[in-house]
Amino acid sequence: MEQNKIAIKVKDLSKDFDISESGRGFSGKLKALFYRKRKIITAVDGIDFEIKRGEFVGYVGENGAGKSTTIKMLTGILVPTSGSAEVNGIVPFKERKKNAAKIGVVFGQRTQLWWDLPVRESFDLLRVIFRVSRTDFLSQIKKLDNALGLKPLMDMPVRKLSLGQRMRCDIAASLIHNPPVLFLDEPTIGLDVLAKESIRNFLAEINRDEGTTIILTTHDMNDIEQLCKRLIILEEGKIMYDGETELLKQKFVHEKVIEVEFYDDGNTIQGIPGVTVVREQGCKKWLTFDNDNYGIGEVIGTIASRYKIKDISVNEPSVESIIRNIYNNSAMLPTT
Amino acid sequence: MESIKIYLTLFTTSIKARMEYKASFLFYVFAILSFYAGQFGLLFILLNRFHEIKGWSVGEMVFLYSLQAFAFGFTNLIFSQLVNFDKMIVDGEFDRVLVRPLSPLGQVIFSKFEVSTAAHLIIGFTALYFGSCYANIEWTLYKVILFPVIVTGGVLIAGGIRLMVTAVAFWTLRNRSLVHTVIFSSKEFINYPVNIYNMGMQFFLTFVFPIAFINFYPAHFFLDRSGAGLLHPSLEMGTPIVGIVVITISIFSWKAGVNHYQSTGS
Repeated sequence: MEQNKIAIKVKDLSKDFDISESGRGFSGKLKALFYRKRKIITAVDGIDFEIKRGEFVGYVGENGAGKSTTIKMLTGILVPTSGSAEVNGIVPFKERKKNAAKIGVVFGQRTQLWWDLPVRESFDLLRVIFRVSRTDFLSQIKKLDNALGLKPLMDMPVRKLSLGQRMRCDIAASLIHNPPVLFLDEPTIGLDVLAKESIRNFLAEINRDEGTTIILTTHDMNDIEQLCKRLIILEEGKIMYDGETELLKQKFVHEKVIEVEFYDDGNTIQGIPGVTVVREQGCKKWLTFDNDNYGIGEVIGTIASRYKIKDISVNEPSVESIIRNIYNNSAMLPTT
Repeated sequence: MESIKIYLTLFTTSIKARMEYKASFLFYVFAILSFYAGQFGLLFILLNRFHEIKGWSVGEMVFLYSLQAFAFGFTNLIFSQLVNFDKMIVDGEFDRVLVRPLSPLGQVIFSKFEVSTAAHLIIGFTALYFGSCYANIEWTLYKVILFPVIVTGGVLIAGGIRLMVTAVAFWTLRNRSLVHTVIFSSKEFINYPVNIYNMGMQFFLTFVFPIAFINFYPAHFFLDRSGAGLLHPSLEMGTPIVGIVVITISIFSWKAGVNHYQSTGS
């Protein structure tokens, strides 16, 4: 029974790409016609994880970290070089069709819909391809329409939709067969704030109401903070963090930043235990303190008792800055 | 059974999408018809000067041509999407084919139909009619039954070759020039009876690149000709078997190609 609670299981999964380099300039290109330098690039390097049913997992990393490659292996597009993967108990690249029937896939960069056809016809075609009965289809479309406002778009050809409209239709298209697992590869890329918000609300809703397991890759850390309880961070093909999004802060943030504005700019801040000044600009100063050993109240209390303060705020580091910090391994400075 | 229904829906949808561009559709038909008219003209001019080539009369040559036109006509109709397949690979469009619960090859084939290639078949019927008249073919029941079998075998050969060449794109990404050489130029070899070539070439067109089975060998049976050159009587009926062998090999190479597919970045 324990087995049924697991949606995705990945063990020691790797993918190498064989890249042939073409040379620089004309002579290099000419040489490449006869002799190509081959180079093996390991995009995904022995990763392990398990995702339970109903989880909402953020899968992040820099460009080229191996996010999309992982998603493509789990959806059956790519065959792994080594290791194993199971989605709904199915090995994706061995039983592509069986796997496809039980997953939904959205690629933000590329539409799943038929470019020249009205949205309605694309949906109808997908209904047939995924063998969904007409009654199930109608109730599902009704539900999707309520949440995503599809009605005004249904009769428009896909090529005439805006990016945000197209993305709503693409997400709806991936859910026509009501799959238990949904893969989203950068679904909010290029969208404006409102479009992002409506898509986030919808994703949170199906995860909560339908129990759909969702794996989301994104560069937008707001997506992660608002949606994903669990976060997997990938760097150069290896997993470097896998755990609760909240715990990321506890684990990686040992310093907090306080922004203080004083009434005059002559103050030298010295002798407060655990505190260092990292930046000054007129009357404003940014201080960091070691939050493992000192409480915030204690630090602010000391500053307030010694100096006249006009304004004070504590900057909670965003997930984005934490991740950037992990990548760069450099001091976390507020960006203003 | 249910997959047939699904493919039919894909097929009608592809036609609907195609009809969005009516003018291009008509131009295509026009291009095919003028191409064939040119080929026919050339053939007639040649034959008017020589009356026969290597023992083949005008009528027999026209019949030979009809078998070729039928095989390539149906192949173009069914496998038309494969010509542009490398674009699907380069753009990563093939990704979406792989995340649907249907055979990838079936989806690619049914994603777009070049209905206009039916023009090839008009030429086929015309050539068949004139060839039969001039060459005095005696259409026994046996021949009438075997004609579609031979054409089907020819389609399997031509289609199999096309599929194999297409699958190369999984490794090389772009293969348009290869497609044009192998698929479009190669059929010029069998516009004429294969016994006009030297033995090496005949061997090549029989056992390596077996397009001689599309028209040259089976034509002997329909024309009641005794063979020349490489022909052994048993090769006359070899077309369906060669067709099955070629298509089987091509499907294996396609499947190997799908497993080798590397998609695109991000």
